[in-house]
Amino acid sequence: MDRQPAGSTRRQFGQRAGLAMLGLVAVGCGGPAPAKPGQSDKVTGEIRMITPIFEGSDGAKVLSGLMADFTKQYPDVKIVPDYTTYAKLNEKLTTSLASGRPYDVMLMGVGWIPPFAAKGVLADLGESESALTSLYSERVVAPGVYDGKVYARPIMLDTRYGYYRKDLFKQAGLDPEKPPTTFAEIRDYARKLTVRDGSGKLTRAGIDILGIDLRQGFETLMWAAGGDLFTPDGKVAFNSPKAVSALQLMTDIIRTDKSEDFGFTEPGAATGVPIVQGRAAMMLGHNNTWQEFEQNAPNLVKDGQVGFFVVTGERPALFQGGTIGAVSAKSKQQAAAKEWVKYLASAQPSLRANQQRGNVPALKSLVSSEYVQKNPAVQFAMKNLDHAYSEGGVPAWLQIRGDFKAAIESALLGKTTPQQALDDLAKKAEAAIASGK
Amino acid sequence: MRSSKSEVVLHLVLAIGALLMIVPFVWMVLSSLKSHTEITSYPPTWLPRHWDFGNYPEALKFAPFGTYFRNSLIIATGHTVLNVALASMAGYSLARVPFRGRSALFVAMLATMMIPTYTKIVPQYLIAKAMPFFGGNDYLGRGGSGWLDSWWALIVPGALTPLAIFLFRQFYLSLPRELEEAARIDGMGEFGIYAKVMTPLIKPAIATVALITFENSWNNFLWPLIVTTRDDLRVIQVGLAAFQQSERTYWEYLMAGTTLATLPMIVLFLLTQRYFVQGFANSGIK
Repeated sequence: MDRQPAGSTRRQFGQRAGLAMLGLVAVGCGGPAPAKPGQSDKVTGEIRMITPIFEGSDGAKVLSGLMADFTKQYPDVKIVPDYTTYAKLNEKLTTSLASGRPYDVMLMGVGWIPPFAAKGVLADLGESESALTSLYSERVVAPGVYDGKVYARPIMLDTRYGYYRKDLFKQAGLDPEKPPTTFAEIRDYARKLTVRDGSGKLTRAGIDILGIDLRQGFETLMWAAGGDLFTPDGKVAFNSPKAVSALQLMTDIIRTDKSEDFGFTEPGAATGVPIVQGRAAMMLGHNNTWQEFEQNAPNLVKDGQVGFFVVTGERPALFQGGTIGAVSAKSKQQAAAKEWVKYLASAQPSLRANQQRGNVPALKSLVSSEYVQKNPAVQFAMKNLDHAYSEGGVPAWLQIRGDFKAAIESALLGKTTPQQALDDLAKKAEAAIASGK
Repeated sequence: MRSSKSEVVLHLVLAIGALLMIVPFVWMVLSSLKSHTEITSYPPTWLPRHWDFGNYPEALKFAPFGTYFRNSLIIATGHTVLNVALASMAGYSLARVPFRGRSALFVAMLATMMIPTYTKIVPQYLIAKAMPFFGGNDYLGRGGSGWLDSWWALIVPGALTPLAIFLFRQFYLSLPRELEEAARIDGMGEFGIYAKVMTPLIKPAIATVALITFENSWNNFLWPLIVTTRDDLRVIQVGLAAFQQSERTYWEYLMAGTTLATLPMIVLFLLTQRYFVQGFANSGIK
């Protein structure tokens, strides 16, 4: 779960401070940590695990059940979970590493592996990437791999793709079975679906691109446009002409077509999800948006009025985040820690974790599970994982990602052109990448 | 006539100000009584269509809030007592006890107020972890976890604040020197003068420092989250954060939990408001 929480300056400052500290930690750690004499090769001992999922009583109940099942198999293992949130995961990880008391098992987000693996903080799981691709889609395995080694196994996925309201398509004279398949169609449909009252106030957005994290929305469009965040050799690529065309699309939707007004909504708004309320006809949404439909608009679900589409420009693209399990290079209980990660990522445990949060299982085999079969949004995501793209790719990613929101906003507000906004962002990213070398 | 008109205007302005201040609280309480569907409906409603008091027990079931409340209360009370006791002594010394380097010490103490919290987190964490003889550490602070995952880490690092020392110093400075001299002539020692003569005269400062300390401690989130891994040591703010998950926020439970978490602060403010206002007026801080 790579989601950037609604960012405040203070939080961003905290993240940067945390990252700076991670750098200091890394200097202390040196390169990849070899196995030490004190490390046990037996599946025994106490494992400390930090987890940003399994929150609340329901989550804790699921985790407690999983721990009980695991310790039945390995009675000499004790698992001590430390619950946190994604918003504070970086600070918790960083301070634990700085103190030389890292967690044995770290559940973290997609995009987090290169920053930590590059500092030698994570243990090589000793898995074969090609063997894993028989269990998972290739694109699902990739975020856990760095420098040819597998450092993490996927447990659950978060995906972002297009939602649309078939009833509103019909009202606007559009074919409800034909969602947009090009950027031009996205704009065209959005214009036709937009409704304003007599005073010009927006009452229905043609497409809601502000209801998910701006960076993630941009990235989805960028990948669909054929762009990428970084080149394979780690250079900035998100200001390429293709990437700029994605931000241009967002800017056109807001500023030229006026299919949505800036400030109309925001991720996690207390005023609800516009598409569920009929205040938007299409949106870039999270697979969890389905739960909002089920809870607040059950009739739409029953009548089959909610459709999905993979955003397509030059190619179809679906945003893939998720939670992956990694092991500390310094863990003295590496065998037990690795076994626990393997267990969490296996079929039944990961299914239970996904069910608890309404997320997308990473294992291919779970597509036939009852949970997936009963959840059309999750099913849609799983069927399209071959088009999935993930964030990250460079060790400085956690430092860079916080700057996207401001750059995108400046383009959407017309303060800079999309090209200028991304060029400015690229300069900052290049500096961050250079400072990490 | 003129004065009554200006009074009306003044009261009107104050009433509007008060209304603006209280609206978020009223909104929070009303939101805590709405169903999930209603709280996320558009346009938002002022009054709940169905008063859903069930959000409160549901919110309390979401996490062990009883433990979190107890922990926050212990920590906030501990911080308040220690801060009032220690900062008043420090403030008294800086105001009334002449010693070499007093001004430099005062400036250095003020300078510590300007260090951003985030930059102190890792050094403080390392100090807590390397505390000798605690948590399995040897005399050099090696080998164990020190104060981590203990009440020591939760209470000691926040037990003395420079703001409190500054406030106390300003109050002690405002007291007439004759009182101190009279006590000295009567043979009273320095601690007696501090404890029996001067401190009883600065009740507004005590109330102000107590309220500020309690509030800051009650609202503290990051430090308790970082130095603890056990659920039985977590505090109320960490518990409230569980309602805001990465893909969704349980607004109705968050509002119910926040309403409950705000109650102790409101009660404390109502009890100390008279002194609190005096405190700020006298120290020249607004």
